[in-house]
Amino acid sequence: MCGIAALFAYRDAAPPVDRGELEAITERMRPRGPDAGGTWLSPDARTGLGARRLAIIDLSPDGDQPMSDAAGELHIVFNGEIYNHAALRARLQRLGVRFRSMSDTEVLMELYRHDGERMIELLRGMYAFAIWDARERRMFVGRDAYGIKPLYVADDGATFRAASTVKALLAGGRVGRAVDPAGAAGFFLTGSVPEPFTIFEAVKPVAAGTSFFVDGRGLSAPRRFYSVAATFARGRDQETIADLVTPSVLLRELVVESLQYHLVADVPVGAFLSAGIDSSTLVALTREAKHAAPRCVTLQFDVHRGTDADEAPLAERFAREIGAPQTTRLVTREEMLADLPRFFDAMDQPTIDGTNTWFVSKAAAESGLKVAISGVGGDELFGSYPSFRDVPRTVRVNRVPPLGAVAARVMRNPKARYFTLGRTWAGAYFLKRGLFMPGDLAPLLGRDAAEEGLQRLDLLRRIASALDPDPGTPFGRVATLEATMYMRNQLLRDTDWASMAHSLEVRTPLVHGALLRQLAPLLLAKGAECKRYFGESPRPPLPEWLRNRPKHGFGVPLAQWMGLEADGTSTRMRSWAKVVWERYVSG
Amino acid sequence: MRLLVLCTDAYGGHGGIALYTRDLIEALASHPRVDEVVAIPRVIRGALETPPPNVTFVAGAARNAAAYFAAVARYARRPFDLVVCAHVNLLPVARMLRRKTLLMIYGIEAWKPARRGAALVDGVDGVASISEITCDRFLNWSRYRGPSFLIPNAIHLERYAMRERSAALAARWGLGDGARVLLTLGRIVAAERYKGFDEVIEVLPSLPDDVVYLAAGSGSDLPRLVAKTRALGVAGRVVFTGHIDEREKTDVYNLADVYVMPSRGEGFGFVFLEALACGVPCIGSRHDGGREALRGGELGLLIDPSSQAELRTAIADVLAEGRREIPPGLAYFAYPNFESRVHSTLDELT
Repeated sequence: MCGIAALFAYRDAAPPVDRGELEAITERMRPRGPDAGGTWLSPDARTGLGARRLAIIDLSPDGDQPMSDAAGELHIVFNGEIYNHAALRARLQRLGVRFRSMSDTEVLMELYRHDGERMIELLRGMYAFAIWDARERRMFVGRDAYGIKPLYVADDGATFRAASTVKALLAGGRVGRAVDPAGAAGFFLTGSVPEPFTIFEAVKPVAAGTSFFVDGRGLSAPRRFYSVAATFARGRDQETIADLVTPSVLLRELVVESLQYHLVADVPVGAFLSAGIDSSTLVALTREAKHAAPRCVTLQFDVHRGTDADEAPLAERFAREIGAPQTTRLVTREEMLADLPRFFDAMDQPTIDGTNTWFVSKAAAESGLKVAISGVGGDELFGSYPSFRDVPRTVRVNRVPPLGAVAARVMRNPKARYFTLGRTWAGAYFLKRGLFMPGDLAPLLGRDAAEEGLQRLDLLRRIASALDPDPGTPFGRVATLEATMYMRNQLLRDTDWASMAHSLEVRTPLVHGALLRQLAPLLLAKGAECKRYFGESPRPPLPEWLRNRPKHGFGVPLAQWMGLEADGTSTRMRSWAKVVWERYVSG
Repeated sequence: MRLLVLCTDAYGGHGGIALYTRDLIEALASHPRVDEVVAIPRVIRGALETPPPNVTFVAGAARNAAAYFAAVARYARRPFDLVVCAHVNLLPVARMLRRKTLLMIYGIEAWKPARRGAALVDGVDGVASISEITCDRFLNWSRYRGPSFLIPNAIHLERYAMRERSAALAARWGLGDGARVLLTLGRIVAAERYKGFDEVIEVLPSLPDDVVYLAAGSGSDLPRLVAKTRALGVAGRVVFTGHIDEREKTDVYNLADVYVMPSRGEGFGFVFLEALACGVPCIGSRHDGGREALRGGELGLLIDPSSQAELRTAIADVLAEGRREIPPGLAYFAYPNFESRVHSTLDELT
């Protein structure tokens, strides 16, 4: 786990790579990798790589980056973990490859040498990497299936720049800082900046589940190797497989396999534990897989103590019952206020989220952990959000136009007049997840910026494009949208920067391309019932008092702590968005 | 000691369970303390093989249901030390006999609660499974907590051989000299789509043109697979052989460069043992009993059957290696070891 940087002056007319810029970009990412760091410049100074390392696999200097092969043909920087690196290494060794280290970084390099660009399809993990191939004079860049690990690029037509964070790219001083109106509009509409935009015009994210080359002609078209929508669509063809095994047993087998991959580390792996089914089941299954429960960290907020919103007593009870070492970390308003400057400095792009992960990562790091598993992704996988019910219902109601119009008139919320947008899946999803509505943006951004932003963002078309190919069922459509919109753009992105700010690597066993491929037939067949089966999957199953409690969200009491203005929503996230925007653009 | 075996089929039967049951009966019969084994089959489909002298095979029971129950009633009056219920569907009959009972489990029939008499499994005295995965999945839904035994399939190594490709079969199916052949053997029916025929067909376009696929089997799902080969543009590279005669099976295996079955529903995968006994390298699934037939990767490559990339890479690697051998580790499944496991099970239960 790291921060990485890659620069390639691919046009002859481009100036050589500036070591100072490379070092500035790399240094900005120091909290992501406090254990080691370095830069590498090609002899002709046309290519530069930089990395900051958080040592998790192969703690020796053999795993340091940038890494080069013995012949100087391949050079790599890589952020993330390749969980199946041992099996990939074994295969390459059978094919005659000799390794110098036990590092997954070296496996990536040699796998590329042997299998070329299709190597990325064999990887199980979370990753973003850049490989400089000196033989072909081109750079190979890739990002994992779900976009767990970030990678941003800036291409001015002559020099290619990439880094793990937007702010790192800007720290090099050569990338423009003009705000992208589409990114700004996207932030206010959704609560985070939706890909393929960032908040800055000059910077774009590498699309999740893709890879591409950079050579003397520039960037190649990205090649997609994974699609959530396509995975669900394929799952529909395999419905007969869904019925072979008792669902809780199948979930158990496949999630334990995912966990065994995600627990690969040369340091202890802890766990974030709330009183929810996902994190509790992962902890219980980890105890079975490893014959010992992981060290668990739970957050508690001062204003919640003694109320129904306080999950800590339930998490503590569960931890006691299964014998898991557990720490409850109290977070107060005073601490929130004291952390705000660092919080906003670490916030790579504007987002209304990230506070929970900030504090739980902080707590985990304080307890000495470098790695923790999280239950993020469970709601998207098992259909636990209200959107799985509400989005299809909105589509159904709008399919009868008079009903849609009536509903729009009787609804009492700021979105009511947009209700008929919900006749499409994209529109219905936006209605559910949207923060502000299009008509709200002019006062926030200025009329011209709002107009330009909305036009270029073209949000409904972008949301709809996520459903290509059509997953085929209401569950599959909502699951795809939640995974590729809310989870990717907000939960996973915020988990990355908020945890890395504390030099903590968060792993997500339920966000795993292979797991979705394996489970898709069952998920499509059983839908949201899978959450119940998941809670039943450990031996013994989760206790009934835990399985049967109503679902609660993670309630960071921002509204109370920050004294947010009433804004027509129960969470006051619109007000918080304005605070975030103000702090981000002024910072 | 006298044993009663209630079986779906055995002598005169086709398929994996029939073969396993024949081996089981013969292993039971060879136990030094066993005087007689009476086997009552539910069906007979073909010519009867000859059972050992101390086996009474009640062929007449297979005429119809009435004959079956009449045979069971007749033998129920005789003393038996153990009833071996060779399929969970026969458990209601076995339990009526009120004798010490050993239940045999194989695969999908035991992975979920039995349709009939799920509670009946609670009272059996032993469960023998052909694989750990079947046993594990069975124990997950049943309340049975008695002794369990692992008795994987047996391979009679002397019945197979590694030899040159049969020119006659190659000609029959249009396999040119330079063709590299992938093979899967199995029924091609909708209920068994878990076998992995689809997955191999889907990966074929990404393999070199000289790689052809021999889909060896027959069944009602054939038209769908044929349509798939056309849609993917590989119709000329896939041969659907139809039903395979047992007498040609060894030659069929010997046509293959790789036996590949990326399945999700195999309780074990006896076909892997057959392929290995003919020296054919194998690729199986990590997610079903195939992984045990390949001994966790010792006897072949294991992949995630949902991953086209893993399947494609495994096939390419095996073809590139181009090695054929009968792995020494296959002896683990040789019939003498099977017989020994059956005898140990009997010793523990009686």
